[in-house]
Amino acid sequence: MSTSLYPLASLEQIEKSPSRQDGIPAELEEDLRAFGCKLIHQAGVLLKQKQVAVATAQILFQRFWFVTSMKQFGIGDVGMGALYLASKLEECPLRMRDLINVYDLLLQRTAHTLSSQTASSSHHKPDFKYSPMSYFGNTFYDLKDALVVAEMQILKRLGFQVNVVLPYGTLVNYLRVLGLADREEVSSRAWGYLNDALQAPVYALYQVPTIVSAAILLATRHLGISLPTTPPWWELFDAEWEDIWSVCGYIMRLYRNRTQKDQLLVLGMVTKQSVRQWLEDNPPAS
Amino acid sequence: MNYVQLEKLGEGTYATVYKGRSRTTNEIVALKEIHLDAEEGTPSTAIREISLMKELKHINIVRLYDVIHTETKLVLIFEFCDRDLKKYMDTHGDRGALDSVTVRSFMYQLLRGTAFCHENRVLHRDLKPQNLLINRKGELKLGDFGLARAFGVPVNTFSNEVVTLWYRAPDVLLGSRTYSTSIDVWSCGCIFAEMISGVPIFRGRDNHDQLLHIMRIIGTPDERLLRKIASEAAPSGDGQAAAAKQFPRYPKIPFQQILPKASPQAIDLLERLLQFDPAKRISAADALKHPYFTSSAMVYPVPPTGTMAPPTYFPTPLQHPHQQHAAQQHDAQAAHAHAQAQAHAAYIAQQQGYNAAAQQPVYPMQGQPQPQQAQSQFVTYHGSGQAPAR
Ligand SMILES: Nc1ncnc2c1ncn2[C@@H]1O[C@H](COP(=O)(O)OP(=O)(O)O)[C@@H](O)[C@H]1O
Ligand SMILES: [Mg+2]
Repeated sequence: MSTSLYPLASLEQIEKSPSRQDGIPAELEEDLRAFGCKLIHQAGVLLKQKQVAVATAQILFQRFWFVTSMKQFGIGDVGMGALYLASKLEECPLRMRDLINVYDLLLQRTAHTLSSQTASSSHHKPDFKYSPMSYFGNTFYDLKDALVVAEMQILKRLGFQVNVVLPYGTLVNYLRVLGLADREEVSSRAWGYLNDALQAPVYALYQVPTIVSAAILLATRHLGISLPTTPPWWELFDAEWEDIWSVCGYIMRLYRNRTQKDQLLVLGMVTKQSVRQWLEDNPPAS
Repeated sequence: MNYVQLEKLGEGTYATVYKGRSRTTNEIVALKEIHLDAEEGTPSTAIREISLMKELKHINIVRLYDVIHTETKLVLIFEFCDRDLKKYMDTHGDRGALDSVTVRSFMYQLLRGTAFCHENRVLHRDLKPQNLLINRKGELKLGDFGLARAFGVPVNTFSNEVVTLWYRAPDVLLGSRTYSTSIDVWSCGCIFAEMISGVPIFRGRDNHDQLLHIMRIIGTPDERLLRKIASEAAPSGDGQAAAAKQFPRYPKIPFQQILPKASPQAIDLLERLLQFDPAKRISAADALKHPYFTSSAMVYPVPPTGTMAPPTYFPTPLQHPHQQHAAQQHDAQAAHAHAQAQAHAAYIAQQQGYNAAAQQPVYPMQGQPQPQQAQSQFVTYHGSGQAPAR
């Protein structure tokens, strides 16, 4: 067994995550994780934050849900806290006020999408209009409080283990080893899979070489490029087939079709209050 | 809290440090209190210090035992040391200057702690006498990792605050955007000279003045080097690049003239530590192999009189078996991280525009499962660093 350079979740944590123990179905948890990561990504874009900080935030966010249930903390708050923390770690700190404004906007937009989609069809659907909050109103202070608490809880619950390894350098290296370095379509596609994978828990579950191998596998299969199988190319990178396959599964599940009902359900569960409400309405069958 | 707070030990740039006693074991510790600010949450200095020091275990690095996280403050529980090097020099030195045996011992330990950080891909970035601690056994330990960071690819400067002016490397003063282990080595050189003479060697008032102080002693480097360093400077960097062109041409003054007490070997080592060109500066690991430490010419001294035991265990380090093991593990990790870093650097060169400076891993996680509600905590997130079952 090789030692890992950064923390990975344990088997128990994977089999029964804290949210699942509280009765949140596995699929719903996956969707909520992915949506939380999308919010982090969108906030990062709006704030013009460096990609390293955004990716780091998404990985910390994914790790957090292996030690905490979504019944205790909302994905909105934790995502905001993760981005704030990751920006400090990457030495490109954000101003609290800017981050709070951006999250407020994203949450308002989510609420708007939700209400306009669920409203009866006879209803007129107005376009989304952002109404900025007042700095003296409660929203600002509530969000600020939630931000400080979320950052602290991430640190506490992860035991200050905030080292993160990003996969991009490894990808370039592997493509070179495989003689694919100048195949633009392979590298950009694999790169895309690595970014999309940030919405799945894989970076909290597998070593970087495994995840990068999975991205290369998906990219080359998609493009119909064959790679050496005797010996299998992934063995060069110390990755195991079952693990690669499992990572591919996580990534491909991100693209599966969801019913509109499922999509709306996720939009309505950004806060811990809404998660609690849902759990009351849908008690786990015991 | 499980500790009784005793007298204040010191005040630093962002924290107050008290002596403390454990209610359960009576052990004496140092309590570093950091107030949490509603405007910025948990200070990044504290985050860096905790995440790096938790796993950085070495005799020449102050051990972090525990962290207590409350609503309003963070308390870091450290191994207790008698005093910092600054106070040690004030009380034990002859007008600040230490005897040659103590200097050699402290220097060896300083370089050993620094080399250990570098092996583990951590830059300290703020080495100075106030941040080095001395215990009763004469052991020197690196403390205050508030500005430290893990590195893989060269680290970007994030502020000029890094490294107190007097111990700041000339390349950093010139606005160099990226820096590496060589900045800590420069600080070690400054501390070496200060232990020998009792006064800081380069005492500038501001950035520019600091450079002048350095050049008046080690000489103004040739244009080519200045231009090379300036070319690596941040475009916005306080017009450093322009400043680089206007330095008076000072000749080099031999260190022997400034430090008449120093042995030729000490001077030779100092020379290698205080190289203007960061690329020419010796590494901490190589400095440990310098004849200043390894030659037998040095006679063991009569222990100095005083309350404190003389420095003891240099220069043959005896490692505890577990430390040795840890060191090997770290080597393997460093090699791995290095390979990744190289690939990464290559990538950056290739894909311009993408701003990835991947943070490299530092340590495997060490499990210390504790109930989540525990007040004092290290790690509730699982610990053995295993890959998940397949
Ligand atoms: N473990 C310790 N034992 C004894 N004194 C300490 C210890 N840690 C810190 N101190 C004292 O407290 C001062 C400030 O601590 P430091 O960690 O440097 O804080 P800051 O990061 O605020 O500069 C040090 O210069 C030293 O005098
Ligand atoms: Mg200090």
